[in-house]
Amino acid sequence: MASPIEDDVFERLCQKPDPAEEQKREREFNDRLHAQYQKSQSRLFEIIDDNTTRPTTISEIRVLHASHTRRDFLERIFNPLLSANRDGPYTLAEALADVSNATNKLQRFDIFKNPISIYLDKPDPADPSTTPTDIAIYISAQERGLYTVKTGTEVGHSEGNAFVNAQLRNLFGGAESLNAHASLGTRTRSAYSVGFDTPINSNPDLRFQLNGIASSTLKSWASHEEVVKGGDTKLRWLTPGGHQHEVGYSGIWRQITGLASNASPTVRNDAGDSFKSSISHTWTKDERDYPLLPSRGYLLKTVSELAGFGPLKGDVAFGKLQAETQAALPLGSGITFTAGLRGGLLYPLALGGSSNSAPLPSRLNDRIQLGGPTDVRGFRIGGLGPRDGPDAVGGDVYAAGGASLLFPLPRLGAETPLRIQAFINGGRLLALKGKGKDGNESTLNSMQRTLGALKDGLPSCAAGLGLVYAHPVARFEVSFSLPLVQRRGEAGRKGVAFGVGIEFL
Amino acid sequence: MPSEDRPHDEKSQPPTRSPPKPSIFTVPAPIKRLFDRFPLTTYPANELPARSPRNRHQNVLYIFATPSGAVSGAPSYNPSCLKWQTYLKFSDVDFRLVASNNHASPSGALPFLLPSTHDTAKPASPIPSGKLQKWALEKRKRRVEEPEDMRYEAYLSLLDHLIRKAWLYTLYLTPNFTSIAEPLYVLPISTNSMVRLTTAYELRKAAEIELLKNSVVIDAETLYTDAEEALGALETVLGDQDWFFGAKEPGLFDASVFAYTHLLLDAHLGNGWAEPRLRNSVLARGNLVAHRDRILAGYYPGA
Repeated sequence: MASPIEDDVFERLCQKPDPAEEQKREREFNDRLHAQYQKSQSRLFEIIDDNTTRPTTISEIRVLHASHTRRDFLERIFNPLLSANRDGPYTLAEALADVSNATNKLQRFDIFKNPISIYLDKPDPADPSTTPTDIAIYISAQERGLYTVKTGTEVGHSEGNAFVNAQLRNLFGGAESLNAHASLGTRTRSAYSVGFDTPINSNPDLRFQLNGIASSTLKSWASHEEVVKGGDTKLRWLTPGGHQHEVGYSGIWRQITGLASNASPTVRNDAGDSFKSSISHTWTKDERDYPLLPSRGYLLKTVSELAGFGPLKGDVAFGKLQAETQAALPLGSGITFTAGLRGGLLYPLALGGSSNSAPLPSRLNDRIQLGGPTDVRGFRIGGLGPRDGPDAVGGDVYAAGGASLLFPLPRLGAETPLRIQAFINGGRLLALKGKGKDGNESTLNSMQRTLGALKDGLPSCAAGLGLVYAHPVARFEVSFSLPLVQRRGEAGRKGVAFGVGIEFL
Repeated sequence: MPSEDRPHDEKSQPPTRSPPKPSIFTVPAPIKRLFDRFPLTTYPANELPARSPRNRHQNVLYIFATPSGAVSGAPSYNPSCLKWQTYLKFSDVDFRLVASNNHASPSGALPFLLPSTHDTAKPASPIPSGKLQKWALEKRKRRVEEPEDMRYEAYLSLLDHLIRKAWLYTLYLTPNFTSIAEPLYVLPISTNSMVRLTTAYELRKAAEIELLKNSVVIDAETLYTDAEEALGALETVLGDQDWFFGAKEPGLFDASVFAYTHLLLDAHLGNGWAEPRLRNSVLARGNLVAHRDRILAGYYPGA
């Protein structure tokens, strides 16, 4: 027979638990756990803190799980840390900072899973080769898969395509990677590329790249299709001040083909093959807090290219300089002001190794195009500059600038990546002025005259209002714009335009 | 990935289709009037780049030619270009030559003609070689009599098949490739050796495919014998007349024959003939040689 007490217990168990009570209990439990955790953390900090100045020597570093990574590759990163390779002893704090630096480096190679964990251990005191200050470091670095294959389709902005992307990681155990990409689409008819990328001397900030490309792109703004085959090699490095440099050589066979039936004579004259052999240098200093939607900071970038000069040979010869800057200024309550300025010129040169010493006039594929939703908004792609009938034939000298005010959306606030944008932007794109009346004007003179002509009249410009969405991968813009000033023939657009890109004016 | 959506343009924005049904896309008249005031200022058009052709008021024939040959009006080194170049000269049509390549052509093969235009904003539609005769008939100042001979078609097919095939063979698949086709068709394309090698390979491959269209193997002896017979037949039909089929003036057929005979008889084509069999068989036909000399003297005085 059940006692009344037992009945009571049974009844209590049968009762639905009070949800409020339950929550309270859970909260108390969590609080207790958190307090305990914090206490142990602070104890740990205290221990480390008490020991920061304690002399330390690193006797051993073990990288666990990195079975596919070459030993000498890891040695170049960790050898300098070992006390045997150093003059004096560390303090514990120094040792820890150095180890975490080295681990950060390891992380940047993109071949290990995040996070890489570090363990410290005292070596066995019974081992006669150890000293009392010795610590051993264990780094657990789980390697990422050796390959990734992605396939997909993309639809939008009057382009649809399907792609396959394959990446082989850590190819020879030294963070080398091989990327292969293939895509078929409506505007970029086909694109294939293979790229090999390797850090030099186990330094993630110094990389060497070798790429091969083959693509076919429909350039409807100039009534043709451009087929490109070639290769390039690049050396990239990051200086401690945050300057990104890239120097490279590229050799590319370009073919202007598949002309539209109403292609202009300018495009028809440039149809066919040409080989560009060029060296280039890119310098980037990006201090923007969030490049796709900056609220403060600045960007400076220059791209210089020298083609066909001297031993470079090829079929085209020119020097091309382009500079770009953008600055963002927070105005408070989430409102940002951004301004950008771009400029560039293409200076014709005489082809190296040819008997003809006259500078070669620029070709359609080398000339600069300006206009479109990602540079001068309110114009079509290639909408600014010289036009031959329906075709944007490009120019040799340009300058463009823009200013935008970005407001957070009411009720959504500044935390969301959405902004309302009011902008005004404009620019000029000019072909190099021809020979003067006397017929033998120097290129330098023509260039000076052309640069001077940039200031003639107001720049072609447009203003508008739109919506910006900064997705982590790219920035999307929908804007309504009206052209204010333009040259006859230039293709401004009244109405709504949609733009996707990474760099905007 | 710069992009924009196409459909809106100055005229279709706002997209007003038909007046009776005002859809939601119709922009109200006052707003449309406001839009029409933009751009507020329009300056004169930008100058064209240095390589853009300037004189648009001339008919331009795009052919295979050396840049200097195009300026001096020398005969093209490509048979089908030379045929139409000669025919247009017979028709007394004014035209200028531009050295070009197949990529420029709307049909994928030269020649083609860009008629003169007075409005640079609207480029004239190019006329491919297939429509050149009709265009010339409408344009020409002088009538070119086309003989209405029953044999015309038959002899034309001799040219278009037997002689053309032997020409393709001798130019692309014999040592003539190095001595003639390379300096004319490959070297001017690019100074880069990879581009040249690829182009040379593609040219030979294309010639091979063309020759294998109607036969299983490429037999040099058959190709040459057939061409020799065809040349013999042309020699006979021409006889001692000035022009084919007893015409008073040269016509398209004369131009077609001249296109091959002139090139074969030109000893300095490219770097000269390394494999002269086809050339020798033309040299042996006195009437055809005289026919070629007659056209060369009458229509290409400088050459």
